[in-house]
Amino acid sequence: MRFVAKRLLLFIAALVGLSILVFLALRVLPGDVAAVMAGTNATAARIAALRTQMGLDRPLPVQYVDWLGGLLHGDLGISAISGRSVVSQVGARAAVTFPLIVLSLAIALLIGLPLGCAAVITRNRRWRGLFHVLAIVGGAITALWSGLLLILLFSHGSGLLGLFPSQGFPNDGWKDCGRAMASLVLPALATGITAGAGIMRYTRAALGDAAQSQAVSMAMACGMTRRQALLRVGLRLSMPQLVSVIGLTFAQMITGVMVVENLFALPGLGSMLITDVGNRDLIAVQSELFLLAAFFLLLGLAVDMAHHALDPRLNTASDDVQEVL
Amino acid sequence: MTASHGAYGNADATTTATSNAASSNGAASTDESLNARVRTSKSPRPNKWGIIIAAVVAIAIIVGAVAIFNGRNAQQSANKADTVTIGLKLAPPSLDIRRQSGSAIEQVLIGNVYEGLVSRDSDNAVQPGLAKSWDISTDGTTYTFHLNRNMTFSNGDALDADDVAWSINQLKEKQYYNANQVESLSKAEALDANTVRITLSSPDSNLLWYLTGRPGLVFDKDATYNAKTQAVGSGPYTVESFDSASKMVLKANPKYWGTAHKPATQHVVIDFITDDNAAVNALKSGDVDVLSPVNATLAKSLDANTYHVSASDGSDKFVLAFNCANKKLADKRVRQAIRYGINHKEIIASRGGVDAALGGPIPSVDPGYEDLTGLYPYDVAKAKQLMREAGYSISKPLKLTLTYANTYGTELGDQLKSQLAAISIDLNINYVEFSTWLQDVHANGDYELSLVDHAESHDFYKWTMPEYYYHYDNKDVQALYAKALAANDEKESDEYLKQAAKTVSEDAPADWLFGYRVTVAYNKGVKGFPDKLSQTVLPLWQISKAE
Repeated sequence: MRFVAKRLLLFIAALVGLSILVFLALRVLPGDVAAVMAGTNATAARIAALRTQMGLDRPLPVQYVDWLGGLLHGDLGISAISGRSVVSQVGARAAVTFPLIVLSLAIALLIGLPLGCAAVITRNRRWRGLFHVLAIVGGAITALWSGLLLILLFSHGSGLLGLFPSQGFPNDGWKDCGRAMASLVLPALATGITAGAGIMRYTRAALGDAAQSQAVSMAMACGMTRRQALLRVGLRLSMPQLVSVIGLTFAQMITGVMVVENLFALPGLGSMLITDVGNRDLIAVQSELFLLAAFFLLLGLAVDMAHHALDPRLNTASDDVQEVL
Repeated sequence: MTASHGAYGNADATTTATSNAASSNGAASTDESLNARVRTSKSPRPNKWGIIIAAVVAIAIIVGAVAIFNGRNAQQSANKADTVTIGLKLAPPSLDIRRQSGSAIEQVLIGNVYEGLVSRDSDNAVQPGLAKSWDISTDGTTYTFHLNRNMTFSNGDALDADDVAWSINQLKEKQYYNANQVESLSKAEALDANTVRITLSSPDSNLLWYLTGRPGLVFDKDATYNAKTQAVGSGPYTVESFDSASKMVLKANPKYWGTAHKPATQHVVIDFITDDNAAVNALKSGDVDVLSPVNATLAKSLDANTYHVSASDGSDKFVLAFNCANKKLADKRVRQAIRYGINHKEIIASRGGVDAALGGPIPSVDPGYEDLTGLYPYDVAKAKQLMREAGYSISKPLKLTLTYANTYGTELGDQLKSQLAAISIDLNINYVEFSTWLQDVHANGDYELSLVDHAESHDFYKWTMPEYYYHYDNKDVQALYAKALAANDEKESDEYLKQAAKTVSEDAPADWLFGYRVTVAYNKGVKGFPDKLSQTVLPLWQISKAE
């Protein structure tokens, strides 16, 4: 219990620090939303009037407290440009980005875990070498490049095999599930391959360490073959490490898929942030960044707890773990 | 278990027997569990099968998704007849046409969702709109508009002279977007339900044209709605849904009052596609029927039998402005040298060879246009000489900074840098976000050279405002422009404008790199898409698609 309480307190402190950081960092940007809204025909008076209307001429601490007050009430504010609430805006975009991340992660795991295990299990030197090369090459491929390649190979219209749409998301969103999924396949593959290579390397390292451990030797001494010992005992031993890596990969993907979203013209969180920063719609941007960062922190918290749950040795007071579980 | 029982119950006598039994029991149980383990895990086949099954399932899912998707596609093309899809490059950030800047919002909404007192055709000429006719007093300061009868907004409210007068007075009072264009307008009043009188403080020959844009739009004075996300207008279409990241869906307005502009198609979907390659792919795969604009170079890959591709003059001017208030650029010889030193042909050719050379501030679609490209022909020798006179040489180059927005790509800056290097100018490129440009250059006037696409038509007035970021202050030009506005006769007005534009160009406060000519491509089945000026006037009511 103490562990959970400590982590939660840290989490809240981090959120507050984050809100200050996000707020200040954005205020350093030149230009403001009033100037963007007023455009190239505007007079100075018009810009000043818009600034007053939007409350941009108030002192910074007042603006910060105002924003934080809203956050405490669960009100993330309204975009000054589009007039939509930030929550609905983020929600609409997350409906593209999160399925994309999950799909990418699934592909990454499907590639990374079996190959990583195989790389440790095999004793054949040539096979090991091949897995080694795969891990390095796969990790070195940037999503941007593999994305382009996938478009050339599989995209509707211009690809060799016109299997999947390569641009945009269906206009009616998830109403047509098949179509929506189809438009996520190529971008998910593009990020999944790179992330999969990463997971493969981690799996190989973690399982490799476990292979040297006494637990695996013991299992083999009890009559398991090496493969059985590695898969049944070794893999379980390396689970905590792998869960951390998967959590990190998930977090990385939130930023990682932004490039791919751009390439495949998907209306996800990345393009939303780029547009909003471009428009200097700071109220929207700071709330969006805050949400994302909070999600990062939450993910960290979840991974930490999973870690503790999976590896009882980390706990001094084992009663706490029971409660966490 | 048996072992402990034996140990507790009997002493030495039975030790061997029990221990035997215990050990044999123990051995048996250990063997059993080991055997069990061995048995369960000695079967790697199910694992292999698991992988194979998983792979088959994954492939099945993917194939299924593709099949469903393809089926959906076929279905779509079957019932597409009442929908035309148009791909545009720029999306309006919101629907708030009274406050939000940008030409995209005007292009999409004016004439389709909102209507003005007067409208504009694809030749940039003023046509009747909500007003069917108008009279102008001889001194040019009173305009009387006669409105159409029985007009309604899309919410069912009646549209009459009160709404018109209210809209125009609100524009002045609240200083809505482009209110500065009609500065001379002092008030609007409803004489009766169908007549509106507008009074000016001084004659303005541009007034009618400006009223075709945002200043002339009529809004429902009784309606309350979130203008950023909703639109209540009187046009042939209503906004069914809008997301600036993906698309806008327009639906024929069932309450449309007019008979002349009845929509030919029930739904018009406008997809916003920023990436040029993506846009062309969308056209080729049939996701969109029309692209406006399309990248001129990429358009060459379109099959001429299937697609109609055309380019036309527009009002976009790529203006390389020289800050006349800057010490280095106050020297007219330097400004002239830059104009002589720029090879416009090369720049245009590298962009696909479609754009038009432009020698002055007025584009070919505006009144007062004349070809001024002869004033500063490409002449490196002359440019070098002017630079020498101004005190610069290759060994002692003039250092200048060009600030421009990253939306225009890096090529333009690189080309200018290398061209100007030949006339001993060391050009430093400051490639910024558009909002930074707006702040530094446009609002603060803090720059040396700036490059931007001034897309608007009828915007010569910016050269008569010394406070505008050009910082160009020439009393002759200001006097000529005032005369052009006051002139009753169109020809006379044009003549003054021509003189003013020529004077500006000669003074070289900027170089006009080229007039961007918009290339439009559409499937030949589409009818009624305007070939000209579709970046500013996009009447959608006449668009239809044969199936």
